Amino acid sequence: MLQISPVNVDEALVAAAQGGSAEAFSRLVERHQQPLRAFLRRTCGDWAQADDLAQETFLAAWSRIGRLKTGASVRAWLCGIGYHKHLTALRSATRERARGEVYEADRDEVVDAAPEDKIVLELAMASLPPDQRACVALCLAGDFSHAEAAEALDMPLGTVKSHVTRGRARLLQALE
Amino acid sequence: MTPADNPSADDRLKALFALDEPAPRDPVFNTEVMAKVMRQRLREEVAMLSGVSVIGAGALWLVWPTLQPGLLALSQGLAPAAGALAVAGCATLIAGLWRPASAHVG
Repeated sequence: MLQISPVNVDEALVAAAQGGSAEAFSRLVERHQQPLRAFLRRTCGDWAQADDLAQETFLAAWSRIGRLKTGASVRAWLCGIGYHKHLTALRSATRERARGEVYEADRDEVVDAAPEDKIVLELAMASLPPDQRACVALCLAGDFSHAEAAEALDMPLGTVKSHVTRGRARLLQALE
Repeated sequence: MTPADNPSADDRLKALFALDEPAPRDPVFNTEVMAKVMRQRLREEVAMLSGVSVIGAGALWLVWPTLQPGLLALSQGLAPAAGALAVAGCATLIAGLWRPASAHVG
């Protein structure tokens, strides 16, 4: 019996989307929205902003789908686009300030509902540098390998490993 | 310390991170994304058609002085035939419009 691996499904969908099929692209959105949004939520800390960035990421992906090489990891490619969009948003000081206020306003509601450990983890994640936070979000929170995270974030493998190790130590220290 | 040294700490981290996980299927999110994708596609198509139209109009404007004498001579030569074709076309159209009405009455 023919086994179709998820990678093969992705390859077929990417090929169809590269041919202009919006339906195939819609299937890709359906398949990859969860890991991308989870990554951006953990990287941004703000769920609404993360979802906006995820939508922008898919829009950019639609425009650039022709550049995706055959056999490349779609989720790593999407997370890479999303991460660069997040960094661009971070650099925009005015927008960042406005979003910070919204984040703080929303944060009180989350604090009431979330378990204590979750709040501690969120604060510890927020204290990590952006690169380290992204590595932790992919490798510890997501199920990315170090190599896949390095590909997504366009960082050397050794840097990713070191970010993950240091980030993990800081998170565990905060949770103690 | 490596993750292998302290598996329970990693399980704890995983469990806490799992609270951020969105639903595996989110039709609302998908619909919003695809609506934006379709709008972007429409904008690109309109921009492309506008570009082609502008280029076509520009090209016509450039070649018009060369084209105009030839077209004038051609139109004068074809005027009787064009008139006859127009009359025939109108007659066909009128006949076509009347036929279903008469069939309906009959």
